[in-house]
Amino acid sequence: MESMIEAALEGLYQVLTPNSLGLMCLGVLLGSLVGFLPGIGGPSTLAIMLPFVMTMKDPYAVIALLVGFDAVGNTASAFTAVLISVPGGSGSQATVLDGYPLAKQGQAMRALSASFFASLVGGLIGPFVLLASLPFLRPLVLSFGSPEFFMLTLWGVTMVGVLSGNVPLKGLLAGILGIFIAAVGADDKSGIERFTFDTNYLIEGIDLVLVALGVFAIPECIDLAARKTKVAETQELGHGFWQGARDVYHHWWLTLRASAIGIWVGFLPGLGSSVADWFAYAHAVQTEKNKDNFGKGDIRGVIAAESSNNSKEAGDYIPTLAFGIPGGTSTALILTALIAVGINPGPEMLTSQLNLTFAVVWTLTIANIIAVAICLAFIRPISRMCFMPFFSLVPMILVFVFIGAFAANRSTIDLIALLGFSFLGFTMRRHGWPRSPLVLGMVLGDKMENYLWLSYGRFGFEWLTRPGVMIIGVLLVISLCYPMLQNWRERKRQAVLP
Amino acid sequence: MNSRMKAEGLLFTLFIGVVMAAALWFSRAWPIRASIGILALGAIGVVLAIWQFVLDAKRTDAVQERSQFDLPTSETESKWGNLEIWGWIVGFYLMILTVGFPIAVPLFVLAYSKCYGASWLLGIALSAIAWGFVYGVFEKILHVPWPTPLISTLFG
Repeated sequence: MESMIEAALEGLYQVLTPNSLGLMCLGVLLGSLVGFLPGIGGPSTLAIMLPFVMTMKDPYAVIALLVGFDAVGNTASAFTAVLISVPGGSGSQATVLDGYPLAKQGQAMRALSASFFASLVGGLIGPFVLLASLPFLRPLVLSFGSPEFFMLTLWGVTMVGVLSGNVPLKGLLAGILGIFIAAVGADDKSGIERFTFDTNYLIEGIDLVLVALGVFAIPECIDLAARKTKVAETQELGHGFWQGARDVYHHWWLTLRASAIGIWVGFLPGLGSSVADWFAYAHAVQTEKNKDNFGKGDIRGVIAAESSNNSKEAGDYIPTLAFGIPGGTSTALILTALIAVGINPGPEMLTSQLNLTFAVVWTLTIANIIAVAICLAFIRPISRMCFMPFFSLVPMILVFVFIGAFAANRSTIDLIALLGFSFLGFTMRRHGWPRSPLVLGMVLGDKMENYLWLSYGRFGFEWLTRPGVMIIGVLLVISLCYPMLQNWRERKRQAVLP
Repeated sequence: MNSRMKAEGLLFTLFIGVVMAAALWFSRAWPIRASIGILALGAIGVVLAIWQFVLDAKRTDAVQERSQFDLPTSETESKWGNLEIWGWIVGFYLMILTVGFPIAVPLFVLAYSKCYGASWLLGIALSAIAWGFVYGVFEKILHVPWPTPLISTLFG
């Protein structure tokens, strides 16, 4: 215990040295900028930073810069998700569903405030769970194999039904379409090129950024241009700053549950930010009462998505630090940098290098506080974007989207793909097809297929009898049946009413 | 729901059904390891698409069936409907190909904002912001290599 306190203090001291603190602030500002700019992913910026970071000798400086950068990307991405319906990063895609309708109702201030306070809660809970969980989660992660991971991804795909609301058939078709889009390119298992039509461009597969920008950003921009008004449909900015804080306080149980989902998703290797917010959003829709307003401007949708995407970042570090298994793309890049400066993630991070683990925990905590303070301080000036006329916003959004699409892979063919996906998203929206299942199908499809084949290859059909598989299977069935039961109860209750 | 929207909706459902069927068709030639998932999902997809097509065809409600988690599209105020904004989007793309990002971005922002009533001052300010963003963030900080524009290829 004494050594733990010593390590905690040593970690805090090292993080608060002027050098580390300055680098952390730089990381927070860069992370916030990247989070705010749609289409520029955290991983691509991290990849650019790596060559510079690897020349540093001080491991605490590397932790301060990279972990500080990684911790806050999802916080600032709420600005564009709420104000112009273009998620700044993949972790804020679900925020658009309710954040943007709230902005259109003139409640951008409330949505942003709730989003940042929820982010703060998620961002503070995450690091402490990271710390507390390390000794307990180690045996659990080691007992998980591909069959359990397959069941977890399958569980994610069944969320498609929940996200489709009252049009499950269209939702399932959109989900399958998403899985097919994810299948485009060279197949890892067999080396076969699937749906590439002998073109080099498609061999690498289709980038999720392109699909997300096309399916979500352009259709909303078209809608704004067609309406020829402002983003907000009312002239009121609203005075919802404290209302947003109260919303988070009022829905504290949802905030905690969504944070826990974020940590869990982060903890599971391979399921990235783009999944955490959807899982938390689907969970909110599934479990909350009076769900009719979800998708039309329900603050609970914003709270669930934003608390989960921030707590997820800390969850990512659990397998990264304890087992050297990165939880996501960003942590994989950070892991590379840590190894380069002499840190060996693994059991040592819980013994001889515990002070470094604490440095990560402190950096995650302090970076989140700094980022949320910056975002809260700038809510009002940036919220004024809601009152900009459409002719100021539409060209700027299109510029963001086109540059974001190009910057993802630096290919002009991506711009043609963007136009194709934009037309798909526009048509889906026009004809009442839910777009979220398409993205979720795309995120999980590839992983699901790989885990299934690994499971079958290693265990034959015996993988179905593994206890972990059966437990997750039961949870999956419950999560599928629960909303149906709730709908049935609701119909029964309405039938009784005069 | 007017007959044009219904026809469009049916056409889109048909398109999704054709994509599912095409996926099934192409995956036949692959080894089982690469095709099993596509075959299973494609078969389910074709059945669901036919089901959805029948539902769409039978639908006679005034209101279109749509996801409760999505907002309905706004009525367009433009004479040309949504074609107008699609024209701008495709035009921007062609402009990027022709003159490159650094020129196309400020030109597009200025043209669009002026066309819809922005003052010269606002139009130029927006163009400068957009250009500053492209130049400062992408060119100077991120060193994004812009594609060679068509005009440079043609005229050296």
